[in-house]
Amino acid sequence: MLPSAHTPDRNNTPSPTHFGSAPSSASSSVTSLSSNVEMEKNLMLVDSSTASYAQNLPAEIIYSILKQITAMSDVYNCSLVCKTWCYLALEVLWFKPGFQSASTLALCSSLLRQEPSTLMFPYPSMIRRLNLSNLSSDIFDSTLSCLASCNRLERITLAGCTRLTDSGVLALLQNKVGQNLISVDLSDVVSVTDTAILAIAEKCPRLQGLNLSMCKDTHEHPESVQIHDESIVKIAEKCPALRRIKLSNCVHLTDRSAIALATHCKVLLEIDLMNCHLISNDALIAIFQHCSELREFRINQCRRILDTAFTQSALATKPPGFYHQLRILDLTNVNAITDQSVAVIVKAAPKIRNLILNKCDKITDESVFSICRLGRHLHYLHLGHCDKLTDRSIIQLAHQCMRIRYLDLACCIQLTDRAVMELAILPKLKRIGLVKCQNITDEAIFSLTNLSRMTNSLERVHLSYCTKLTVPSITHLVRSCHRLTHLSLTGVLPFLRRDFQRFCRPPPRDFNPQQRSAFCVFSGKGVRDLRNYFTRIRPLHNTMDDIPPSHVMPDFRQATMQSLQNDTIYMEIDGDGDVDGDGDGDGDGDGDNDMEDMEDV
Amino acid sequence: MVQLLSSDNETFTVDKQVAERSILIKNMLEDVGESDAPIPLPNVTAKILKKVIDWCEHHRSDPVSQQEEVNDRKRLTEIDEWDQKFMEVDQETLFEIILAANYLDIKPLLDIGCKTVANMIKGKSPEEIRRTFNIVNDFTPEEEAQIRKENEWAEDR
Repeated sequence: MLPSAHTPDRNNTPSPTHFGSAPSSASSSVTSLSSNVEMEKNLMLVDSSTASYAQNLPAEIIYSILKQITAMSDVYNCSLVCKTWCYLALEVLWFKPGFQSASTLALCSSLLRQEPSTLMFPYPSMIRRLNLSNLSSDIFDSTLSCLASCNRLERITLAGCTRLTDSGVLALLQNKVGQNLISVDLSDVVSVTDTAILAIAEKCPRLQGLNLSMCKDTHEHPESVQIHDESIVKIAEKCPALRRIKLSNCVHLTDRSAIALATHCKVLLEIDLMNCHLISNDALIAIFQHCSELREFRINQCRRILDTAFTQSALATKPPGFYHQLRILDLTNVNAITDQSVAVIVKAAPKIRNLILNKCDKITDESVFSICRLGRHLHYLHLGHCDKLTDRSIIQLAHQCMRIRYLDLACCIQLTDRAVMELAILPKLKRIGLVKCQNITDEAIFSLTNLSRMTNSLERVHLSYCTKLTVPSITHLVRSCHRLTHLSLTGVLPFLRRDFQRFCRPPPRDFNPQQRSAFCVFSGKGVRDLRNYFTRIRPLHNTMDDIPPSHVMPDFRQATMQSLQNDTIYMEIDGDGDVDGDGDGDGDGDGDNDMEDMEDV
Repeated sequence: MVQLLSSDNETFTVDKQVAERSILIKNMLEDVGESDAPIPLPNVTAKILKKVIDWCEHHRSDPVSQQEEVNDRKRLTEIDEWDQKFMEVDQETLFEIILAANYLDIKPLLDIGCKTVANMIKGKSPEEIRRTFNIVNDFTPEEEAQIRKENEWAEDR
């Protein structure tokens, strides 16, 4: 005999409740299921005492089981089992409906257009989350107008749905959809203008997350972005619960937007202003003054920001550790930054996990000594192009920030083997970028493989333009580091031979022949094939001995050498485009798009 | 040590750490304070309580996950081998473990139980699911047809 009453004492479970209760209700109780008038009207639940255990389970248990099913078709089949299971399965199915193709979306849309009283269940109000970004080019304004009755919708992701316009957003919000919306993602929907954003501000009082990041192209064509201070200020005023806002490449925004957000939205956790190049000190001063909860802050490429935004703001005057929530700070190319700013930042925010100072080329070893105080909190550090740095500070970094997983030192041209040898002790290092560190020799690479835990952790190694490297050290690296999935050796002469390059990724389409000949990046299968090839051409115990390169295709090598000596090897690259074609999107999740491999080289 | 009393009056003595895998018991201990009196669990039989205690013993030092997100991600992962073996029981026992886990508020055990049932559903037609769990089809043909029609977007392709 089954225990009949199971008190669902899970008040702190934030899991949504689907039994017809109000969205604000925190507990999923079985009783509210039977009180769902709409449901009773449509389909009476039976209480059959002769039925099985499965049929007699409390609704919340059946619901928990159905939630564990991963395939949508299995949940669908469950809805056809019996009346008890039906509504629960459909709640699961409609909670976050997913559409594999435009045709299934069309089927669903036409259902949502039907008169509600003709339907078995109130489907529109069962939808809580929607992600339509996988069908981006099939999403039109008319698609959104079908959703106007989804009055319990909480999250909608329309990333990249470039055919949408303001009227789609207005149609979506025409009724009560806005009242429960907490997250809206319109990233890369370039045709959206202030009109739509103002409507969101008016209709979505609970909004917590807004993504209006625009793609890079729009940065080059600022006229295509149609979002201005006017609408962002309104968002700040009307959506006080806002926690995350992404505005990268919204190039028209000024300090007005940032100041409004900082003063009205007290719980801001994330602000992304990448490439909002009009942003200046006043914005930062307001943000540091008001946003003590800040966790992620990106102001990369905001080059109007001066050192004083850090040294003469609340950041410097609040007690040490005041911004202890700050985890991610991206200051790429905010190149007014000095050692003094870095010292202030580390003191105020001692638990930074990801620090990006790429191209902050005024900083010296002193900054790295400050950064060392982040200690074990630091996981990700980008110091590319900080060419004043020397071995001295990097050695200390290796000893004090032992949990570094990602380290980029591209173009830190003063670094030598000594620094790399010390970094080789980092137990969790997954990725190291040493592009254009031209003092680096084979010694450094051998040192990276000395400790077994390093060979177990290293996944991505960037060595392009480390021109002193030769085949034996790389062979050893590739054969020792079994997790290696990415290796870049562009411009490293000993690798520009056909037998190696056949494992290399194809160079980007827009490369000229000269760039193509220098290109040498191995990833995924390419690394595995290269490893197998190394194993074939020489057994492991011989790795230390060089093999005469002439052994393989001497003619080709000679020809390549000559052509490279005659021409400029380093390619000239305009701007920050993905010139290396290294943006392989291999999804290793470290936000590493490998652009630094060739950037500015 | 903590004493637990099953619905059929059997007493089990277990480590506090093990017993506190159950949030219900943990809260009771916090409310009542140290006491020698056994905690009555009127919704759990000795047979099932023994199984649950076995599970809690094995998972005594698992980290307690607080985040719903963590659970969401776990959802896609497989059940580990020990748990799979643990759940190789008849259907009645399986559902009683699930109900006990729910009552005792042991979320990870509840999840594993539910996942086990979910795996039994995987790939089956409605009729096969009914047979597996001995469920009676109480739809009229019209109702069934309408539900099919209204939800055909979710059908297998």
